[in-house]
Amino acid sequence: NYYKTAAQLKAGVNAIYAVMHQNNLVSREWYYLHDTRSDEVAPGGGQLEAPRLQLINNTDDPTNSVMNSVWNGWYTVIFRANVVTDNASNVTDDPADAKKSVGEAKFLRAWAYFDLVSMWGGVPLVTSVPKNPTDFKPRADVAAVYAQIIQDLTDAAAVLPGKSATDKGRATAAAANAMLGRVLMQQGDYAGAKAALLKIPTSGADGYSLTPRYLDNFEIATEFNQESIFEVVFVDKGDNGYNWGGESATEAQSTVRNQEYCPVAWRNLIPSNKYLNEFESTATGAAKTDPRFSYSVYQSGDVYNNGASVLTDADQNGNSSVLHGVTKKISWRKFMIIYQESASTASFHPGGNNQRIIRYSEVLLNLAECANETGDIAGAVNYLNMIRARADVAMPSYPTAQYPVGSKADVTKAIMHEKMVELGDEELRNIDILRWRKKGYFTTEPIANFKAGRDELLPIPQAELDNNPLVAGHQNPGY
Amino acid sequence: ANTPAVSWRMTHIATKPEPARVITGKVTDESGAALAGVTVTIKGTTTAVGTSSNGTFRIEVPNEQAILVFSFVGFASTEVAVSGQSVINVSLKGDSKALNEIVVVGYGTQKRASVTGAVSSVNSKTISALPVGGVDQALQGRVSGLTVTNNGSPGSAPIVQIRGVSSIGYGADPLYIIDGFPGSIGSLDPRDIQSVDVLKDASAAAIYGSRATNGVIIITTKKGSTGKIQVGFDSYAGVQKVTKTYDLLNTNQYLQYERALNGAAGIGLPPRLQPANFNLPIYAGSSQTFAQTNTDWQDAYFKNGVLQQHTVSVSGGNENSRIFTSAGYFDQDGITVGTNFSRKNFRINSDHNINKFITIGETFNTSVTRQRFGIPPGNRTPITNVIRMQPYLPVYNPNNMGGFFGPQSSFDGADPVNPVEQALINENRNLGVGIRGNAYLTVKFTPWLKFNSTYGIDYGTNRQEQYTPIYNDGGTSSSPLASITENTNSGTTTLYTQQLTFDHTFAAKHHVSAIAVYEVQTNRGDSQNSFGNQNNNTIRTLHNATNITTDYTYTTNVLHSLVGRVGYDFEGKYLVSGSIRRDGLSVWAPGHKYENFPAASVGWKVDQESFMKGIKSISEFKLRAGYGVTGINGTVLGNYPYVSNVSAGGTTYPFGNLATGVNSGNGSFYSNLSNYFLHWEKTKSTNIGFDLGLFQNAFTLSAEVYKRKTDGLILTVPAPPSQGVGAPIANVGSMQNKGFELTAGYHKTSGEFRYDITGVFGLSRNKVLSLTGAANGTITAGGDADFGGGGPITNTSVGQPIQYFYGYVVEGIFQNAADVSGHATQTGAAPGDLKFKDVNKDGVIDANDRVNLGSYLPKFTYSLNYTASYKNFDLALFFQGVYGNKIFNAEKIIAEGMSRLFNSDVNVLRAWTPTNTNTDIPRAISGDPNSNVRPSSRWVESGSYLRLKNLQLGYNLPQTWLRSSTNNLVSKVRIYVSSTNLFTITKYTGLDPEVGSKNGTLTNGIDYGQYPTPRVFQAGLQATF
Repeated sequence: NYYKTAAQLKAGVNAIYAVMHQNNLVSREWYYLHDTRSDEVAPGGGQLEAPRLQLINNTDDPTNSVMNSVWNGWYTVIFRANVVTDNASNVTDDPADAKKSVGEAKFLRAWAYFDLVSMWGGVPLVTSVPKNPTDFKPRADVAAVYAQIIQDLTDAAAVLPGKSATDKGRATAAAANAMLGRVLMQQGDYAGAKAALLKIPTSGADGYSLTPRYLDNFEIATEFNQESIFEVVFVDKGDNGYNWGGESATEAQSTVRNQEYCPVAWRNLIPSNKYLNEFESTATGAAKTDPRFSYSVYQSGDVYNNGASVLTDADQNGNSSVLHGVTKKISWRKFMIIYQESASTASFHPGGNNQRIIRYSEVLLNLAECANETGDIAGAVNYLNMIRARADVAMPSYPTAQYPVGSKADVTKAIMHEKMVELGDEELRNIDILRWRKKGYFTTEPIANFKAGRDELLPIPQAELDNNPLVAGHQNPGY
Repeated sequence: ANTPAVSWRMTHIATKPEPARVITGKVTDESGAALAGVTVTIKGTTTAVGTSSNGTFRIEVPNEQAILVFSFVGFASTEVAVSGQSVINVSLKGDSKALNEIVVVGYGTQKRASVTGAVSSVNSKTISALPVGGVDQALQGRVSGLTVTNNGSPGSAPIVQIRGVSSIGYGADPLYIIDGFPGSIGSLDPRDIQSVDVLKDASAAAIYGSRATNGVIIITTKKGSTGKIQVGFDSYAGVQKVTKTYDLLNTNQYLQYERALNGAAGIGLPPRLQPANFNLPIYAGSSQTFAQTNTDWQDAYFKNGVLQQHTVSVSGGNENSRIFTSAGYFDQDGITVGTNFSRKNFRINSDHNINKFITIGETFNTSVTRQRFGIPPGNRTPITNVIRMQPYLPVYNPNNMGGFFGPQSSFDGADPVNPVEQALINENRNLGVGIRGNAYLTVKFTPWLKFNSTYGIDYGTNRQEQYTPIYNDGGTSSSPLASITENTNSGTTTLYTQQLTFDHTFAAKHHVSAIAVYEVQTNRGDSQNSFGNQNNNTIRTLHNATNITTDYTYTTNVLHSLVGRVGYDFEGKYLVSGSIRRDGLSVWAPGHKYENFPAASVGWKVDQESFMKGIKSISEFKLRAGYGVTGINGTVLGNYPYVSNVSAGGTTYPFGNLATGVNSGNGSFYSNLSNYFLHWEKTKSTNIGFDLGLFQNAFTLSAEVYKRKTDGLILTVPAPPSQGVGAPIANVGSMQNKGFELTAGYHKTSGEFRYDITGVFGLSRNKVLSLTGAANGTITAGGDADFGGGGPITNTSVGQPIQYFYGYVVEGIFQNAADVSGHATQTGAAPGDLKFKDVNKDGVIDANDRVNLGSYLPKFTYSLNYTASYKNFDLALFFQGVYGNKIFNAEKIIAEGMSRLFNSDVNVLRAWTPTNTNTDIPRAISGDPNSNVRPSSRWVESGSYLRLKNLQLGYNLPQTWLRSSTNNLVSKVRIYVSSTNLFTITKYTGLDPEVGSKNGTLTNGIDYGQYPTPRVFQAGLQATF
């Protein structure tokens, strides 16, 4: 009897967003899963819980709780999206609004499947609501999952409005095209990706551009800025509340990321040495030290709390890092709210800082990769230099002494470098590694303890194997 | 009316017998002590009087042919013919043979002798022997086949099971019938109870049909008796203590352990422990440093709790009206800070004979309960935090808002929560008010046919208050806003019963009894939840609060029932009984709401056979057999369980950074599929038993064997997560319980030294026969990241007992690298780590190597009750035990697991090192790469225990002295001292082997660090005026 009006359908869409920002996904487990599968992070110390450490060490198994949470979270997103797409044809009171709702549902379903297919391979492809408990779906071919994602994003891009015509936080045509670009690149369709990315407007009410200040992308006051194409919204009600998995209209709307990574809180994951040393620095012969280093991480001696406090080694629990041969304590700054809070407040504070999912700078970097892969080296370099020209970054243009751009291989290196320093810890690196590993772009395997033939993919969760007879017996290799 | 003197004279002078005359006399027990309150009735009439405090009575009889009946609880009733006597002194014999004992069987009573089902009775004395707040706790160990397990702080209901677990998805709570009214027992004062009758097998319980699978416990409250008004006073006070504590690291040991753990993983000293910080004062203004601090967190969290109960009762009446009224107060402080329970109750029960045919009466009880309890943060119980708190931190910091000191996660390298702060800063209370009353009308058309009509209302409301002020402990706990939660749940149940009862003996041989009942029960539950924040600590209401949210819902259900029962016995020898109940319950799917629950039983009183008459030693011998079908109370599933409703506006998303309630971001969803075939879980049970009494029933023995099979078990079919939606609950699966029960006693009822020994033994075996057809049909539960890394702790699968413990088998500790490489591949293993068994011999240690590690279900349970009296002294000893069960000691993972830095048990200092290899504790290494904490046989321990549940010594003040010194005001005073849980014999290493369940079923027997059963010392006084 429900989902008969456009308003009810929209409530169904809102419920998809709700589950997306809950504990299983973007407010906690989702960034842990992406981060621990990348080479950007290292364990902060003994306080890091075992299942997370297992993922970093590649000792995870089908019962790993982090991986299970993300799987469950995305499939709940998919189910709720399917409720919307299945019921849309019943809605007649406001067809335009219903169409928009379907577009949003398809965007979110596509994002879910992209995370699933890239991390687990072929997964059960569910595109309608199960009618009874025995409606099992087998693992689909990877290609079939991609086909569904591309179809959904293409449909979404066609019906979704620009950002000026919708609530802040809802999916837009630009978000769908940006996601489509990501997806097509991952599949190797660089021309298709480029076409999708170029549909993103760069001017006008719906246009995007780089913010002059890099940090605007990670701070609370500058949410929904000109560079932000899609973000997951969090709100701090001021009560230190965090929703561990409840579902009601009164649940806390915060993310616990600040508590997990903040230099004066758990500090569960810290930047890896590899990531820290990736930044251009005068200490290693670069013409200029990349300012994004100190925008992305805090080290002892940095000021925080609106300039009122100075970070010390003693404030930061756990492991140290080695930067240019010097051992010191370094912690994440991106998305942390310590920049405006004292240590005693920030040490336990879940925050309301929105998680930026798609930034325009990623679009430019993806365009650079598309150009390079399709033979347009100059175009690629041009895109890269747009990133480096951001006002408060102002890094010297490519080519530099360390990064020549004479060949496709040179530019590939520059893209890999630039993406790592620009988009560090934004839950993209692990997906990039999968793509670049296949192309042989790494001279050495980036992931420590990586076991070829196993660690390319996560194991199918035990609960899925146990309860889905069509998946049982079809575990990924090596598990 | 004549004065006694006149009457006396008249009987002497008159030569003709006078129609009315007066009899006086005294009633004593066998030792000659006066018995007060004995009912003296003229047989065949309703004329009755009671004996006074010195045992004397005076009654007017109509004629010489009158027969007086002397009856008193605990004594055999005795008949004496008047035939010319004017003074009749009677000595009553103690009645332990219980042959004439009346058993409440549901919609009526039966003589014990003619009962054919498995029914156990517990009297009021036993119920009030223990200093416990609830009837359920008082029943522990008293009834064979009934188990009671402690499950929380004062005011929390224990887990009660009759004949094992019969449902997988739903609790095993029996149905409680209080004076004919189904309801909860939380508001009952155990001292108001006259008797408890436990209907264990289906032939007896099926009269309650659809709700009887878990057994029925019928509670009858006290009624007024005929005779002089008696005032009773019953009071005790005691102190409770924790029985056992952990041996935790002190500050110096902690420092040593920290280096062993973190040092092994290359992790630096947490900032706090670095000398510059460690030698700082614990707070500004203190002269004590962290290095000098050595807090015993168990000392800080556990405390002695005072326990007290006071009850005053008034009872009395005459032929026409009888009344019992009481007022009680119970107050129990917890043995941990921030826990308490109290109850005030008032009762009035009365019966009135309107005329020869019509009797009316009522019971009325009202109570106010108040519980303060702790809500553990996440899954971490307060005891978990007690273990984990660093000994170098103080409990308090007067400079902090709220006054407590909390660890700083980063600075201290660990994130426990100060358990004292947690218990005291957050105020969680349940405030309950209950009113239950019913009225009846009985019309006796003839001596063999009566009609009974009952109407009752049960109203209960519980207001749960949760208040957290603005506070900041400088570390893991703070709240920048005060939060106020007010959740009110109230329920109203009405019950309307019409009953026709037939009872007649034809030709002195054929006894026929029958009942027919029509009953309607309706229930409405209202729920209102409100929440809000205040920016100050003075206003504790939602007035002008911020972030206000509120929600109101109500639900209803209706149960229609038709009940019939017919019993027949021939010469009291051959007994047959059959019953049927047809229930219609609104909660089931359309078309599946009605069901029949039949039962039948037979009995043979072998002792009544002529060939047995010669055998004097056998005083009673009865064989019984019964069969019945019962159901599970459907309302435990909620009121509309078959349909999955859309939760409209049930979630939200803050588009545009707008917080809840003010935007268009509210979302609607549903999370389960519907099942339009949902119907009753049905249990078919067979029971065979016998009752044997030897030597005038000095020795008694009852034994039962039973088999119960439940079909259509309602389960949430485990759905693959890829469906993204929970499967519906459905009738899938079946389960079986088989068991044996024995009650044996020896009763010495005469002489100065009397005693009574009763032993109870119960054995039950559970097996899951089938589960959902899909997948491999297993249900795992209990996984928790803190307790073993998140892997499930129990598994339920076909062919095994329900929820067996599930995990790896530990084979030892790897002593060197060759040991590791020689073993099956075990990811992350290094010397010093646990070696797990390659059960399936595939060369890899993985999830497929997990096995059944044992069951929480005991192989058998037993208890022994000994009571004795000598002159004015009495003694009671009550032992209770379980044997053969396992406990998953999850709390040991907290105490000894060593996966992250926290304070721990001193056992961690014995951890394996290359130079300390002769140990059962694996190496200390932060991060636990081998997952030594995973659920495994390492954490499974024997749960067997034998406990001295009660020891009591009482003394009755000499009655003659008492009467003379109080001018006949006080007739009886008994004083006593007692101890509960004085000692426990067990190998279990946790705090308490009596382990309940964290959150519902399938986690029974997992010790997550629950509130332990305390030891109690108490003294009490009972007086009659």
